Amino acid sequence: MPKSDPPKKPEKIQPPMTPMIDIVFQLLIFFLLIPSQSGEAYLTTNLPRTSGPVAGEKQIDVKRIKIELQVPEGDDKGVVIVLNESRNFGRNFEGLLAALQGLRERGLPPDHPVLISPWMSCRHKWVVRAFDMAVAARFTNVHFAVPYI
Amino acid sequence: MARKEKRKSASAGAVSFNMTPMIDIVFNLLIFFILTSQFTQLEIEQVNLPVSFAARTKQISEYRNVVINLVDPDAPKCVVLGQQVDYLVREDDNELSAMLKDYKASLGEGKPLNVILRADELIPYEAVASVMLGVARARIEGWWITTEIRDQDEILGE
Repeated sequence: MPKSDPPKKPEKIQPPMTPMIDIVFQLLIFFLLIPSQSGEAYLTTNLPRTSGPVAGEKQIDVKRIKIELQVPEGDDKGVVIVLNESRNFGRNFEGLLAALQGLRERGLPPDHPVLISPWMSCRHKWVVRAFDMAVAARFTNVHFAVPYI
Repeated sequence: MARKEKRKSASAGAVSFNMTPMIDIVFNLLIFFILTSQFTQLEIEQVNLPVSFAARTKQISEYRNVVINLVDPDAPKCVVLGQQVDYLVREDDNELSAMLKDYKASLGEGKPLNVILRADELIPYEAVASVMLGVARARIEGWWITTEIRDQDEILGE
């Protein structure tokens, strides 16, 4: 009597894992790196105060530097820079930077208040540009004028 | 006989790693990063950001943030989490400041909240000032303006 063969064990199917792991790692690295490569940066500024001085708070009596950003007639996307209501720089931000650096060299401390006062129709990019110049001149106490307060 | 023994010893020496836990972890991380990147995208509208050389990069995920988008320079709109929000100045709280106050209250005492402004470079200052006022009324601690970074020489040479 012929001896019957023992039942065969079912063959273990093992799909190749290597390509899948490769792809998964690629995706993981991609999603890890995306946030750090967005190319965006932030300017940290002071918000306007919506209330008056708190009781007992010292009133500082210093003449702040005022950078007014006007909008020229017939060019609503342009800008005219006026420093301390007297010096007109036109659209020359380099001139504004030199003037602010001059004020610092003449002894104004870094925390001397600087007020950027744009006209309502002035474009956001000019406001940011003026802020850049104040920071480049190493002023640290820079505010924006908010006319509603 | 010698041949059989040789084969046996070779198979006994093969080391196989258990890949299953590693794949589990990797898939979990992958799902986490895919979902968080989609939530971040929800907050962001397409705008032409102003350029700056004084701005600094920050890991914004380390803070509790609300992103306020100001889009469409011709008819400025304030968009928060994909929803248009009223930001025009009023005597009392507008929709934006009320929303920020609620959100801040939901965080609990002593938990700082940042507001990140993403405004188109051509947005008039009137809209930015209105949003600033709304944010100030909600007594928000941090106020960041989003820009693109450029070199100082490049900006001054424009």
